Amino acid sequence: MKLNERSMAHYATCDSPPDKTGFLFKKGERNTAYHRRWFVLKGNMLFYFEERDSREPIGVIVLEGCTVELCESTEEFAFAIKFDCAKARVYKMAAENQAAMESWVKALSRASFDYMRLVVKELERQLEEIQEAAGGSFVGAGVGNLQGRPKSSKRNHMGRSRSGASSSSSSSSSISSSSSSVPPMSASFSAQKNQQDELQLISGPSKENGVAWSKPPAALANGFVEGASSCAVWESSGDPANVTGYGADGARAPPVPPRRKGASLESPVCPGTGCFSKLHDWYGKEVEELRVQWLQSQ
Amino acid sequence: MRFNEKELVLLSRQPSERAAELGMRGPKKGDVVKKRLVKLVVNFLFYFRTDEEEPIGALLLEQCRVEREDSQTFSIAFLDEAERKYVFECDTEEQCAEWIDSIIKASYEFMRKNLIFYRTEIHRLTGKDPLEQYGISDEARFQVSNGRPLPTVPFLWHFDSDPFM
Repeated sequence: MKLNERSMAHYATCDSPPDKTGFLFKKGERNTAYHRRWFVLKGNMLFYFEERDSREPIGVIVLEGCTVELCESTEEFAFAIKFDCAKARVYKMAAENQAAMESWVKALSRASFDYMRLVVKELERQLEEIQEAAGGSFVGAGVGNLQGRPKSSKRNHMGRSRSGASSSSSSSSSISSSSSSVPPMSASFSAQKNQQDELQLISGPSKENGVAWSKPPAALANGFVEGASSCAVWESSGDPANVTGYGADGARAPPVPPRRKGASLESPVCPGTGCFSKLHDWYGKEVEELRVQWLQSQ
Repeated sequence: MRFNEKELVLLSRQPSERAAELGMRGPKKGDVVKKRLVKLVVNFLFYFRTDEEEPIGALLLEQCRVEREDSQTFSIAFLDEAERKYVFECDTEEQCAEWIDSIIKASYEFMRKNLIFYRTEIHRLTGKDPLEQYGISDEARFQVSNGRPLPTVPFLWHFDSDPFM
C-alpha cells in the first residue's frame, strides 16, 4: 500500500511539539534481539529513529485500534503494543526503568485519534451546556467564541464495528472519575477495545463543527501555516459549516433533533449511550491495572 | 520507512467519516484522473480501486493544506512539498465543500487545537479545568503550554506530575 511517506517523515521531524520522546528498546521483527531506538510520539503516530539525531525515521507504528499491555519478557520493564487483526504484529518494547515504562504505556494507550475525538466531543458538549445555561449568545474573550448555535448534525458510527457490551445510560449529572468503582479486569486489559465498543454508542450527538472556521478564499490550512509556527487561527464566522455524516454506502444520516435544555450526561439524541466518565474509566483501567500489578510485584 | 501495513489495511475497513467515488489525480506530472473510492478514516484518506477490498494507498492528513481548485474540485498538498497536489474531482459543489470541511477537521492536530480551546474556555468561564475530573489534566497532549501557539491563553497550567494520577 502506498503512503505519503515523505510527508509523514516530515511530520515526524517538523517543529510541531511531540507528545512524548525517549529511548526504548524494540524487539526486531525477525530476530529476537532488542534494539535501542529513539521514539517520537506525535498524535497517533509512533515514529522510531535509529539515533536521536537521525534525520529520518526508520519506521512508524500507526496507533489506531491497538492495546498496550504489560508483557512477559526476559527484558525488564517490557510492554507490548498489540493490534486486533489476523496475524497482526505484536510490537514488543522495553523501557529503561519503571517510571519510563508507566509513562509510555499511559501515553500510548491514549494516543489514538478516537480517544482525542472522544475528549474533544465531551468538552464541546460541556462548553455548549455552559453557554446555554448562560443564556444563549455568549461573548467570549478573544478569538474563537462560538457564535450562535452551530447546526446539529448526526454523524455515523465512527467506532469499530465489533460486538461489545452496551453501556447503560447514566442520568447522573455528576461526573466521577474514580477508577475504584470500575469492575476488575483480567490481566490482559483491553481498554482500547472496550473504548471502541463503547464508541459506537456515542455516535456523535453533537455538532460536527463546534468551532467556526474562517475560510479564506484560496487556501484552507489544516494546521498548516507557512512560516515559523503552525497555528490554527480561529475567527468567528457567521456561517459554521454544517457537516453531515455519510456512511460508507453514501447514505446520508438523518438530522438530529435539537438538544433539550439542561441535558444530563445522557445524550438527549442518543438515549442509552454511555456517559463520558464511564468511557473514560475504560481508559483508566489499564493504568490502574498496571499500578496494581506493579504494587503486587514489589 | 516501515509501517504497520496490515493494521492500516484493517483501519481502512472501519466505518468512515466520509466515503465516495471521486476522480483522483496524483501529484506527479503526467498523472491522469482516475475514478477511485476515497474513504476518510480518522486522519487517513484511503483510496481504492472501485470494488477492491484493499486500498491502493493512503494519505496521512497531518500538516497538509486543502484548497479549492474550482467549483467541484479540491486539492490536498503537504507542507513539505507544497507544489505537489493530489487533486480530487467531485460531482457537485456541495460535495466538494463537504469533503474540504471534513478533511480539514480530520487531522489530529486540528482536534488537539479544538480541545485546548475548549479546555481554556471552560476554565475561563467556570474556573475549573474540565480535564481534572478525568485525571488527564497533566497529559502532554492536552497541554496549553507545550510549545504550542494559541489564540488566547489566559492561564498556563502547571501540575505536579505524578505519572499516573
